[in-house]
Amino acid sequence: MNLRFRLNGEAVEVEARTDEMLHDVLNRLGCVSVRETCGIGVCGACTVLLEGEAVSGCLLLAPLAEGREVTTVEGLGGDDPVQTAFAEVHAFQCGYCTPGMVLAAARLLEENPSPAEEEIRLGLAGNLCRCGSYVKIVEAVRLAARRKEGAWTS
Amino acid sequence: MTDPRVTGRARYAEDLEAEGMLHARIVRSPYPHARVTGLDASQVPEGCVVLLPEDVRDLGRYGVQIRDQSVLAGRPRHVGDPVAAVAAGSARAAEEAAASLFVDYEELPAVPDVLQAVQPGAPLVHEGHELASTGAAYFGLRPQQGTNVCHRFRIRDGDVAGGFEQAEAVVDETFRVAGAHHAAMEPHACLARWEQGRLEVQTGTQTPFNLREELAGIFGLEPERVRVVCRPMGGSFGAKTFLRTEAIAAALARKAGRPVKLVLPRDEEWQTLNRHPAVVRVKLGARADGTFTAAQIECYADTGAYADSGPGVAQKMGFAAPGPYRIPNVAVDAYCVYTNLPPNGAFRGYGQMQSTWARERAVDLLADRLGLDPLELRLKNLLREGDRYCTGEPMHDVHYAECLERAAEAIGWRDDRRGKGLSVILKGMQTPSRAAIAVEAGDDGTYVLRCATAEMGQGAIHAITLLAAELLGVEPDRVRFPAPDTDVVPFDTRTTSSRSTYMMGRALEAAVRDLQANGGRRGFGEVANAGGLDPDTGQGVASTHWHQAAAGAEVRVDEETGKLEVVRLHTAVYAGRVVNRPGAELQNEGSMIMGLGSALFEEVVFRDGQVVNPNLSDYAIPSFADLPERMTHELLEGESGEIHGLGETALPPVPPAIGNAVASLGLELFDLPMTPERVTEAIERRVGVKA
Repeated sequence: MNLRFRLNGEAVEVEARTDEMLHDVLNRLGCVSVRETCGIGVCGACTVLLEGEAVSGCLLLAPLAEGREVTTVEGLGGDDPVQTAFAEVHAFQCGYCTPGMVLAAARLLEENPSPAEEEIRLGLAGNLCRCGSYVKIVEAVRLAARRKEGAWTS
Repeated sequence: MTDPRVTGRARYAEDLEAEGMLHARIVRSPYPHARVTGLDASQVPEGCVVLLPEDVRDLGRYGVQIRDQSVLAGRPRHVGDPVAAVAAGSARAAEEAAASLFVDYEELPAVPDVLQAVQPGAPLVHEGHELASTGAAYFGLRPQQGTNVCHRFRIRDGDVAGGFEQAEAVVDETFRVAGAHHAAMEPHACLARWEQGRLEVQTGTQTPFNLREELAGIFGLEPERVRVVCRPMGGSFGAKTFLRTEAIAAALARKAGRPVKLVLPRDEEWQTLNRHPAVVRVKLGARADGTFTAAQIECYADTGAYADSGPGVAQKMGFAAPGPYRIPNVAVDAYCVYTNLPPNGAFRGYGQMQSTWARERAVDLLADRLGLDPLELRLKNLLREGDRYCTGEPMHDVHYAECLERAAEAIGWRDDRRGKGLSVILKGMQTPSRAAIAVEAGDDGTYVLRCATAEMGQGAIHAITLLAAELLGVEPDRVRFPAPDTDVVPFDTRTTSSRSTYMMGRALEAAVRDLQANGGRRGFGEVANAGGLDPDTGQGVASTHWHQAAAGAEVRVDEETGKLEVVRLHTAVYAGRVVNRPGAELQNEGSMIMGLGSALFEEVVFRDGQVVNPNLSDYAIPSFADLPERMTHELLEGESGEIHGLGETALPPVPPAIGNAVASLGLELFDLPMTPERVTEAIERRVGVKA
């Protein structure tokens, strides 16, 4: 089928099978940061934002993106407060889960701009990091939250 | 510029592409032990390349310590053993082609358990054990021909029987540790191609030179005719060591005359490599005042259907088993045993977690029997500077007591011991080994490092770059560290056993000195650490220096459900000198969290030789939700300033610290993981005793 949606702010048109998952289509469009890892929606490495909601790209049929807005980490631009906080704090080791983690954290901060540690742990519990960088990820999310808040209050 | 890992620009082995490349899929045995009696490829769609036994008949056997593996198995020895392979234009087409290849099998008797496998008359997984001649078979291997034991390692030090005669109390218990899975987020992935009789393999590997040696042996090439390029790995933890998928990709590429890429589907990861399940029996004796008099330890490491690095794992399990204690009489027998399970190999901790669990639990049981404080019992017996280990080697730069005191203090041990536990460990580093590096100056004030240290997320590139910048007196952004390429970089043993910052760091110091003494253009540095153990007596030098750590845990147990919660976890690890602080902290935290998974729930479950939980839903790895309420750690630095690797050290002490904390509540656990079922059984045992 011919699939049309907005990817990172730009209109895209792509041939896709009706039984194809979104992460496959996004990989074909060059967004390779969307990683199929578990393939069953438990690890979060394929997290993308669909109309701003965090979803697993490995579970979402590509046709369901038709006419909608999809954001991957490539679309954050590199200077998003979450990205810069992750980089500054070194909130990653191998980096494989990081794009999904960054998007899930960005979504968490949209919903809850100043989360407590417990809320960050709960909010990101669907994203696995086998390197175990969790302590520093929490630190990075708190730093990003402070910076985002600062942008509004300073 | 922001780190590529946060912008989505990071690339791994699975992202490799080549003009005209095909995608591979492996056809695997559904039986734990069988003989292939027929292969029917007639239904495979046209245009696919099929790799059949006749295509690999000219290829050599491989195996880094025991030469026991073929590129395709005519007699598969585990569920998932490759019997054929296909390559097609897309991964989906390859999957369909693999499903259209039909294989007939004749089932053979299988042995699924390590203790069954060592019984006389057990089915033999391999009839004979041929020693490998590779660089990884560096220690005296002692295969027991006609049995399933492919390596036996012993320590004989002092008079053990006499030692037990002097003991007031003796503990003699058997402990079990389940198999675990690495679950690197990126699966095994490689790309192989042939050009004018040269094989080039790009892959995620910790062991480029071992892999080159193995591929050269298989394809009958001079090592220089094989080029291995290491791509950054999306995690490894030991999974991406030695030869995994590369020979099949290379054989398919040879037949296809085109590049072939092979990325393992997630469930096949569990059929490719896991951590050794182990049974460890510990007998430990002490005088009434707590002085240890003797230890007798037996370790059975289940290496699965192929030895891989299992002999080395069993040996380390054995020589780390007595732990950081003065024990005048020691006997250790460690066995690497074949079963019909998928192969087990290197896994963060390299066998030492398994024996550490058993010994540290035994120390607490002994303290209980003697009515002594487990902390005081340990402090009384810990190795001190200049003491002799049971291998005969003198111990230097010793910090066990300091680590243990810190861990005890962090959890408030001396205020109230209830619900709390401690452990202390030693862990060896690859000995002997070699490392070399070349430093080249560019015209623009930059420097290029040529070395084989592989990046898997442990931060080696960053740490070595920082060291180089410091030594060269330049900013780190003037130092480049290209992907290791065996055509270009000098030989290095491998990126394992937390050795790289220490060994490559020292080679780098020599290389920079050489560069400065010779006109500033190019410098070369090489170091070797010597040693090794006699496999029959365990005497010699096990480790150039020892990794040292202690852990303290506080737990809460729900006696209704058996749920075990870790409230507080602290590790104190001896770092010598910290090179890259965030990286060092990440390695410590990651090791602790992986230790937590092994302690509480990670277990590869087998039924009839099949892995029944080969996915990340049924095989859970720690998430944010599994973290202790408070998790902290500290890196101790010493006056000697000698760098100590940190990649694994904080893992082995975690399970026994938790197990000992549970024991302080009267719940004695002997097996890992400490699942709610096992905790409930311990509650019932305790109730039973009371009644």
